[in-house]
Amino acid sequence: MIDPAYATQILINGVLMGLLYSLVALGLALIFGVMDIINFAHGDFVMLGAYLTFLIATYFLIDPTVTIALTVPLFFLLGIAVYKAIIKPVLGAEPLIQIAVTVGLLMFLRNLALAIFHAEPRGVPYTVFSTPITIGPITIPLSRAVAGAVSLAVLYIVHLLLTRTRWGIAVRATADDREAAALMGINVERVYYTTFGLGTALTALAAALIMTFSRADPYLGLLYGLLSWVIVAMGGLGGVVGVLASGLILGIIESFGMSLVSTGARELFLYVTFLVVLWVRPRGLFGRR
Amino acid sequence: MIKPVALLGGRSALYSIIAIAIALALIPLVLGYNMYYVYLAAQVVLVTTMVLAWNIIGGYAGQLDLASSGYMALGGAVSGLLLAFYNVTPWLGMPLGALTAAGLAFLIGYPTFRFGVKEVWYALSTAALVVILQRVFWLIYGSTEIYMPVHRWSWYHLRFSRYEPLYYMLVVILLVTLWLNIRIKNSKLGYYLTAIGEDELAAEALGIDTRRYKLYALLIYASILGFVGGIYVNLTSIVSFRMFDLWLGIVVAVMGIIGGLGSIAGVFMAAVILRTLEEYLRSMFGATIPGIHLLIYGLLLIVVGVLKPEGFAGFLKYFRRRLARGGSGG
Amino acid sequence: MVAVGSAILSVRNVTKRFGGLVAVNRMSMDVRSNEMLGLIGPNGAGKTTLFNCITGVYRPDEGRVFFEGREITGLPPHVVVRRGIARTWQKVRPFKKMTVLDAVTVGALLKIPSVESAKERAREVLEFVGFPKEKFARLGSEITLIEHKLVDLARALATGPKLLLLDEVAAGLRPHEMDTLAKVLLRIRDELGVTMVIVEHVMRFVMNLSERIIVMHEGVKIAEGTPKEVASDPRVIEAYLGTKPV
Repeated sequence: MIDPAYATQILINGVLMGLLYSLVALGLALIFGVMDIINFAHGDFVMLGAYLTFLIATYFLIDPTVTIALTVPLFFLLGIAVYKAIIKPVLGAEPLIQIAVTVGLLMFLRNLALAIFHAEPRGVPYTVFSTPITIGPITIPLSRAVAGAVSLAVLYIVHLLLTRTRWGIAVRATADDREAAALMGINVERVYYTTFGLGTALTALAAALIMTFSRADPYLGLLYGLLSWVIVAMGGLGGVVGVLASGLILGIIESFGMSLVSTGARELFLYVTFLVVLWVRPRGLFGRR
Repeated sequence: MIKPVALLGGRSALYSIIAIAIALALIPLVLGYNMYYVYLAAQVVLVTTMVLAWNIIGGYAGQLDLASSGYMALGGAVSGLLLAFYNVTPWLGMPLGALTAAGLAFLIGYPTFRFGVKEVWYALSTAALVVILQRVFWLIYGSTEIYMPVHRWSWYHLRFSRYEPLYYMLVVILLVTLWLNIRIKNSKLGYYLTAIGEDELAAEALGIDTRRYKLYALLIYASILGFVGGIYVNLTSIVSFRMFDLWLGIVVAVMGIIGGLGSIAGVFMAAVILRTLEEYLRSMFGATIPGIHLLIYGLLLIVVGVLKPEGFAGFLKYFRRRLARGGSGG
Repeated sequence: MVAVGSAILSVRNVTKRFGGLVAVNRMSMDVRSNEMLGLIGPNGAGKTTLFNCITGVYRPDEGRVFFEGREITGLPPHVVVRRGIARTWQKVRPFKKMTVLDAVTVGALLKIPSVESAKERAREVLEFVGFPKEKFARLGSEITLIEHKLVDLARALATGPKLLLLDEVAAGLRPHEMDTLAKVLLRIRDELGVTMVIVEHVMRFVMNLSERIIVMHEGVKIAEGTPKEVASDPRVIEAYLGTKPV
């Protein structure tokens, strides 16, 4: 049988990673909920953020988390730019074209990273969060604990934004019924670009957290993109709570899967889960309204 | 016709197929029977076949399927492994590969369409499929490369010391796929698939069982790919996990989109031009910038999607109108 | 089969809920063969939802629907069409990259397997609704609103229905376009023997066209009768005036 302490450790690890995954997926869920667009390149924004964090942290010799002061606003603007240049023109086009452009973005970003940085992972020179926390028999890397805590805090903040501010209400109204929202005087265009900006900014934040315990490589996009899609498929349309719940479930299952089976099967497992989730989800939530 | 093909009408379609057949048959001669170029030509013909097959599910029915390389690799694996381990001729292996690919397509496609997995999620599920196939192959064979038996000139094994015979076989398959595409386009299946691709809800309201027809398209597409997989494997001489290449599947879809969804002439042109361009890029920059062709594809895809969603087909229409005006005006 | 004047479509206690909201509440009605029935009511009355329950887009939570004596409750849309109920759309759903002729051919292919013959039938139907022959080769993205409506109508008619459900077909049309449409609908009823149910907001259009009107409000039937009876029914007046203006 599994040692209870070990099991608790796996559980905690799963929860912490699940929180981080939820943070990454949140941006995607917001954009999808509001605009009905799945940004295939979402995971690669995380990768982009990771590389940017690497560059800034290495150049200024600062902790990766400090870089968010620069990267998050930058990514917000980047999100708006991507929206205006790529997403907005195809909003009225057929779904296949919409998907196609974000796939194009994915291909572009990933191979750009490959071309510039090549395949070796790049890690930041140091981080303040490198010491582990030990509670009895359980050891948790501080970086992951911080990542989990920050993710939870940000999720809560976004939840407040969505429920307590005027902007948030406008976003939710637009997500519900675009035309009705426009008729009520909501500036739908502004909702769109701010949502896209926010979704992108969140990936920069997540990237900074990731860099405290991991390294940047061109394939980060694949992993985090996939995680985000699975989470959004599972519960993405239930607002922040839905994303949080799905992220936690996924994080915990993944943690147990990785420890008990093998790390190599991690991706296989994720993909199969993804397929099953797609099938089992009730029909009504997929496709266009 | 639903959309004007480069050369319109039934009879013209026949003429264009014959013209293409002759042109393709002469290619090895034009290339001076140079091994490298003939190999490249074979790859171009193969990719064009893949894109034409993709056109059925993607161009007509509008489903963004990224698993083309998966189906082809699966068929290739069946044919290749039977050849390598049991000395079974690919003439038997290829139809078996087609059946296996179709079987998998049905197994996955049925629940996918039944549960209404659409658009983005459909695309993602097909991507997941390719990766799952790759991982499963990896779990069984690891990184082992299984080589096809070497023969000087064996029609039984479909193994030769030159590339020309396989090239010609690929040409024949391409022509058949081209013909199939044209036949479907003007048939009830084609009309229904195009309606589904346009607006699934409206199509349902006209009596179309969208699930069933999407499945038909998927099965035809997977069968073609599964069949041609056997030749692919004999061309590259290897069966390995690397065959299950998601990027290739994505590139096929990209070509289908850039060519112009549903336009046979458009996707044909796109496949030939882009694949040749890709080879050029790879040979020039591939060492320094791996994946440069994918970078360019990504850029092209964005540009086409944003500026000219009709792709090459849009250009063809424009030229056709110019020609028509020029001809009548004199 | 169903005799003229008797019920071709029977809706019995159909209820449809969305979360906590009851869109259609124990709705019952009969549609008589070869009649032109108007279905009106203020916004949100549940008319389109009822349509969708009949055509199979939604599955009713309670109740049953019968067509020509056979039950069709919960059947998928394409089967309902096969049984003989066709519909047009409130928001036009054109086949943008297909020619008008091809779009209608899609409809005709339901009952006519040969593409050539189906195309012929499509031509006939397009002429019947008065769509100009010169524009048969135009793409779905290249035609005007009234032309869309005619194509939508032709598409649905090509499937050979016995009952046609029209969802706010007059929306967005100018008066003379509405007259054209009204004439076509009358021809469909008289020459083709097709029964029609018209959901409409444009009063002038539906009142002049229908022999019988059913009024819905908040998911229930509140009145039924001739246009004149219904127009002077106090409950109907209250329903329209008592709710927010359209």
